[in-house]
Amino acid sequence: MYQQDGEDIFVIDGHVHLWDAREENITHEGGEQFIQCFYDYHTGFTPEEREWDLDEYRHYGKDRMAEDLFGNAAADMAIFQPTYLTDFYDEGFNTIEQNAELAEEYPERFVLNGTFDPRDGEEGLRYLEEQKEKYDIEGVKVYTAEWRGESKGWRLDSDESFEFLEKCAELGIDKVHAHKGPTIRPLNRDAFDVADVDDAASSFPDIDFVVEHVGLPRLDDFCWIAAQEPNVYGGLAVAAPMAQNRPRKFGEIMGELLYWLGEDRIIFGSDYALWNPDWLVETVMNAELTDAQKDEYGIELTTDVMKKIMGENVAELYDIDIEAKKEQFRSDSVTEEFGLGDHYGTQDATAD
Amino acid sequence: MSSRTHEDAEASVREVRERLDRVTDPELDESIVELGYVDDVLVRGSSVDVTFTLPTAWCSPAFAWMMATDARDEVESLVTVETATITLREHMHEAEITEGVNAREPFESVFPDADGGVESIRASLDEKARVGRQFDAMNELLDAGLTGAQISKLTRRDLSLEDGGVVFVRDGNVGVTFDPEPLADYLEKAEATGLVDADTDHVFRTPEGDPIAPEQFDLVHKRSRLANVNMTGQGNICDALNEARFAEGRPPLSET
Repeated sequence: MYQQDGEDIFVIDGHVHLWDAREENITHEGGEQFIQCFYDYHTGFTPEEREWDLDEYRHYGKDRMAEDLFGNAAADMAIFQPTYLTDFYDEGFNTIEQNAELAEEYPERFVLNGTFDPRDGEEGLRYLEEQKEKYDIEGVKVYTAEWRGESKGWRLDSDESFEFLEKCAELGIDKVHAHKGPTIRPLNRDAFDVADVDDAASSFPDIDFVVEHVGLPRLDDFCWIAAQEPNVYGGLAVAAPMAQNRPRKFGEIMGELLYWLGEDRIIFGSDYALWNPDWLVETVMNAELTDAQKDEYGIELTTDVMKKIMGENVAELYDIDIEAKKEQFRSDSVTEEFGLGDHYGTQDATAD
Repeated sequence: MSSRTHEDAEASVREVRERLDRVTDPELDESIVELGYVDDVLVRGSSVDVTFTLPTAWCSPAFAWMMATDARDEVESLVTVETATITLREHMHEAEITEGVNAREPFESVFPDADGGVESIRASLDEKARVGRQFDAMNELLDAGLTGAQISKLTRRDLSLEDGGVVFVRDGNVGVTFDPEPLADYLEKAEATGLVDADTDHVFRTPEGDPIAPEQFDLVHKRSRLANVNMTGQGNICDALNEARFAEGRPPLSET
């Protein structure tokens, strides 16, 4: 657990992947462009001494991932968000099946999310059922700019999408994480437009929609939608590493999110392996607003606010009992493997 | 295109850069000169060559196209310049954009697969830039002592930007001075989006373009701040990608 001022912060990394962009898995030039573009984001927002080289970035495997997440106890749990891209990658880039390799080794530490793509029609509905049956998924990640043959994207508010959202509701899948964020080559910028979340969220009030990457470069559209739809959340992946080399801008974005969404609807995510929680958690926890920002927004990133953002908010969404987890993690296999007994063995001094 | 007034007169590089400074990255609403996109300016008699590079090789072709055509038109607005030739470098579509813009072809014929024309994209980005600039303009007037309700009601005729800025309130009986620059920047975009002209009754507008009811002022002010934070936020991302792309020892990427 991350510790700050004598308090334990239970960290649930809300956005991680176990991907495979090895050359032998790439079947379309878009696959190579995509991983190279990811790598630009990685190096653009990673401290120089923590940068990976491109080969290790293509494929890091489950053991390294476990070490990165839990080795220095930066994260206590994580949520897998798949990204299929099967038009670019033979076996997919980051599928539920790939993610399950690690999630099933440490089931108490991971939430495994699935996906749907309304362009897959009947077959897609069956795949959604299969994921529910096999992995008992509670949430899905959707990627509206994904290519499928001639199609260069889809909308969350289309009739076909609503059919899948209805199926989700029927199966008890009540969290939809939508990538609505920065363009990634070669995908189409406009296919990540956040506007379609609005109608989907108001039509499905029992489903919670987590807008990953808080809509950037459309933070304004996202916040305005979220201010009106109580079941819309903001995922901090991509915004979080700005705390490292663009701290002023990170402060402004946090100010806006806290103003429009409040402290209960913001969720931390590293986007691993885009960025690594083993340094990112500490960077975000140490972020401070400038005096001018505190004045402008009338807020501070207090330990209580940060506890919510780093874990409590997403725990609420996924019915994770943090206190029970702390107890369980005193002796689970991750704790044994990485020698974390001390982290979970001592009582939280400030617990009530 | 302008004609030459003096046979021997030649634009200086400084003059050309001043014109280029008026060209903005449409997504960030910041000058391409300030952003460091302009690599090289070469003046040869009445011909000018401008070379520029964007932060990423996959920047939207529509945005790149807008910047290239705006740069060409701004430079050609100098009386001493007959032809401006624009070269985009290190972009996935550098050849199509460079050739298309210099041949004065329409965007749609060079990129037939793009969704929506370049003009509709420009209009929606101009609208966002207007709202972002509105935040600075409102703040200037608030600092000068106006209330939100007064700002909501201002007409174009109430504002004078000459000889320092003056705004007339209380039925034109009281003149208040302010720094005209943020207002001029705002009006430039507000006019470009067709919302404001010399006779406009409401200078400031909601993001949707409607007049602001006095009790709505605070909300619209906050939404304007949000638009401003969004544009500069994206600027920070582009900037970091730019640094990553040109970092020393960086293996060549994004060339597939």
